Amino acid sequence: MDSSSGHQEFDYLFKLLMIGDSGVGKSSLLLSFTSDAFEDLSPTIGVDFKVKYVMMGGKKLKLAIWDTAGQERFRTLTSSYYRGAQGIIMVYDVTRRDTFTNLSEIWAKEIDLYSTNQDCIKMLVGNKLDKDGDRVVTKKEGIDFAREYGCLFIECSAKTRVNVQQCFEELVLKILDTPSLIAEGSKGVKKNIFKDRPPQSDASASSCC
Amino acid sequence: MEEEQQTFVSKARTAFHSAAAKAERVLLDFKSDREDHDKQSSPNTFTGQQPEAESPHTDENDSKLHSESKHIKWRPPHLGIKQDWQDKIKNIRRGRKEVEDTDKVGDASMAIPFYDDNLYLLNVKNDLEAKASEAMPSVEGLTAATKDPIPPSSVLKQLAIAVEAGSKAKSMKDVIASPGGSSPARERAGLSLSAVKALVLREKEDKLTSEFTSNEKVVQLINSLFDPEGDFLRRKIDSNLEETAMTSLPRDIHGAPPESLVVKLAEILGNYKTLRKMALFWCRVVAELRKLWFEEQYLPGVPQDEIPDLKSCLLYQQFQVINCCISRKRFRIIATESLDSMMMQANSDIKESTDCSAEASASPVLYARLNSGELVLRLGADHPAGDMTLLETGEPVYSPITQEGPLLTEDLIRETEEFVLRTGSVGAGCSQLLSDMQAFKAANPGCILEDFVRWHSPPDWTDNEASTEDSDVFDSGEPLSARGQLSRRMQKEGNLWRELWETSKPVPAVKQAPLFDEDLAVEGILNAFEEMHPSDLFGQLFVSLLGLGFGIAEPMLSGNSDFSKLFYDCKEYIITACQNNKLNEKVDGLVQVYETVEKMLLNPEEALKMIKQTEESTTVTGEPRSPFKRLSLIFGGKDKLLRKSVSKDQTNDEEKSGRQSFSSFFDSKSSLFGKKPPKSGSPSPSEKSSIDTGWPVV
Repeated sequence: MDSSSGHQEFDYLFKLLMIGDSGVGKSSLLLSFTSDAFEDLSPTIGVDFKVKYVMMGGKKLKLAIWDTAGQERFRTLTSSYYRGAQGIIMVYDVTRRDTFTNLSEIWAKEIDLYSTNQDCIKMLVGNKLDKDGDRVVTKKEGIDFAREYGCLFIECSAKTRVNVQQCFEELVLKILDTPSLIAEGSKGVKKNIFKDRPPQSDASASSCC
Repeated sequence: MEEEQQTFVSKARTAFHSAAAKAERVLLDFKSDREDHDKQSSPNTFTGQQPEAESPHTDENDSKLHSESKHIKWRPPHLGIKQDWQDKIKNIRRGRKEVEDTDKVGDASMAIPFYDDNLYLLNVKNDLEAKASEAMPSVEGLTAATKDPIPPSSVLKQLAIAVEAGSKAKSMKDVIASPGGSSPARERAGLSLSAVKALVLREKEDKLTSEFTSNEKVVQLINSLFDPEGDFLRRKIDSNLEETAMTSLPRDIHGAPPESLVVKLAEILGNYKTLRKMALFWCRVVAELRKLWFEEQYLPGVPQDEIPDLKSCLLYQQFQVINCCISRKRFRIIATESLDSMMMQANSDIKESTDCSAEASASPVLYARLNSGELVLRLGADHPAGDMTLLETGEPVYSPITQEGPLLTEDLIRETEEFVLRTGSVGAGCSQLLSDMQAFKAANPGCILEDFVRWHSPPDWTDNEASTEDSDVFDSGEPLSARGQLSRRMQKEGNLWRELWETSKPVPAVKQAPLFDEDLAVEGILNAFEEMHPSDLFGQLFVSLLGLGFGIAEPMLSGNSDFSKLFYDCKEYIITACQNNKLNEKVDGLVQVYETVEKMLLNPEEALKMIKQTEESTTVTGEPRSPFKRLSLIFGGKDKLLRKSVSKDQTNDEEKSGRQSFSSFFDSKSSLFGKKPPKSGSPSPSEKSSIDTGWPVV
């Protein structure tokens, strides 16, 4: 998968959203995908985002990927960002069973409540594969949940970057296979309101009040 | 008589010298007058004045309304009734007197145009008043209409007309400010004649506007619409229907829940006959909304404390925000009073303690004891946080009352998202986190960052007893007395959480600067209502009323073996059509689909005949597939229809196919999805009559 940086012309603009319990590695996973780097990042405060350009199927895609804080106190704030997302990534930690349990207890319900896109593609991601010795959620359990809930499934490690590219690639390919989402992606291009976020030396730092 | 005639001639001569255009008109009048005088026939003289006086306006202002006025004026002479003739003479004489009055002021150049305007305005006003008294909807009329199972299709059709007409207007104010008959005249603002006319018309329109808003029927409709009891416009909705089906359709088409304020508003507005009256009623509604907000009264037919439902239409979301803001203001008042009384009680307790040397009362005031033994008042404490205790002091941890986040409708979410993407700012999360920290400090004197993290972000704290297991998570029900440590990521240097913690001061939520300003938010919504584009408003109302009709009809038709298939095909069509953005192009088709459902309910025999007719025609033409299968392909294939946005060729193919199928289904002579409803070849005279009645815009 080729990637390029800087302000570019593109064919489709897609919005992706990452959700899941706090501490499962959403921000690290996103950083691993966009920068091929790993850091033990401070907990996300509210929401953060990154933009990535990819070439896929002969098309240039601009991905706006929103990273959300998993704490309950931030849930009202993050609920706004479900609107219009073409892809939603649900992340759990294979070494913490409660993060898997909360997928159906909390996060699937949040999607039902706040997602406005009936055709959006959902992907289940089991992170921290590098700690396989501490694993408490089996791969089969993940597969069964994904099948029952109707979403894609993959296990990965943000730390070792195993399956990180494949994770986003599978999701985007599925989006490109859905005509209604393609239509929305094209509509986003016409506006072309978005600009690249200015590069920062420390990706985890963010300006605020 | 002779004296009046001389005065008129004199004025004509004066006007002749003032302006070329006016001189030309005066000259024509002068000649005509002389001809009539030569005939020496008194009745003909007065009759002849009318057409001559009107002819300049006919040239300037060629419009339907004017034609109607002219037609009305010509009718009495033909009837030949002496009484009518004498009335006409009196009117002309009255007009002339007004001209004389103007002349006394000394502005002779105004004489003729003012004379003409008076006659014109007199007829316009009479016309408007007559129509108003006939067509104004009333509470009684609308209540009677609720006996029909679903709202009449004529109401939906009127909203469709408004959607299309509204798309040509620039704003709601334009709709109100432009009466039907004078827009061409306005284009010639340079001419003093037109300018005078516009000024006079505007004064008249202001009067008509105030007359409309104070009209008894309008006042009653407003009162019924906003009655908290909410009985107005209530229909029987089958309670046996699965709740999921009833609530899902309005959200699928981005409408509003049945019996909500939006749906009732749609039904009222759809009963007005002109776009302008619809706009005037909407302004009256906005005024009422302002009044309710000022008085902090809830809007009826809208939940009182729910965040906006992004799957409903924007108008409904905005109503939800208004009610939610009222709830928040009420809560803040209660919380502030509670806090203030607590502080006064604390002061009182201190005095008693000093006087009597007794220990302070523990109830209802909450204290926390510091390590130094000092008692500090807890501010804004809500309830104990499980069995947690503060690490340094051992005091119980209290969850504070916290501020709630912003209430965002879909348009504001889009703006916020674009702003964040453009600027890279993620300050909203920090503001909320800081607010939570300050509230936590106020409720838990002697706390440290670790205490806050244990409350706000449990996965970032590891208990000492389980330090060997990194993945152990705090269980709020489990006693926690031993020390532990923050997660590695939380201990990281430069962590923003610690910086915010050092910055935060102990301030209870109700005393903090608001994260979300309710007054600002609602003022923004009400301003948006006043400036809302007509097609946006009527489009949302159209979709909401459409959803109500289908929602009510579904339990009645779903069990009917003759109609259930056709009904679900129609339902699938409206869902697909409404999910596209080009509503203006589809309102005609949606109205006809709605009429089909209405017919199935009200005239099942006739609808059955049409279905059989279509089946027979299909058999005759040798089509291999049944009409139902082809309909399923058209309606069921969401991908095909949605692909229209991607490929224009496919769009054309789909439209042709759909149009042809529906045409053959109902009647080979008419096209169901044409831009205009069929006016000829209709199988039912009553249907044609209904269409003709609904379409003209007065």
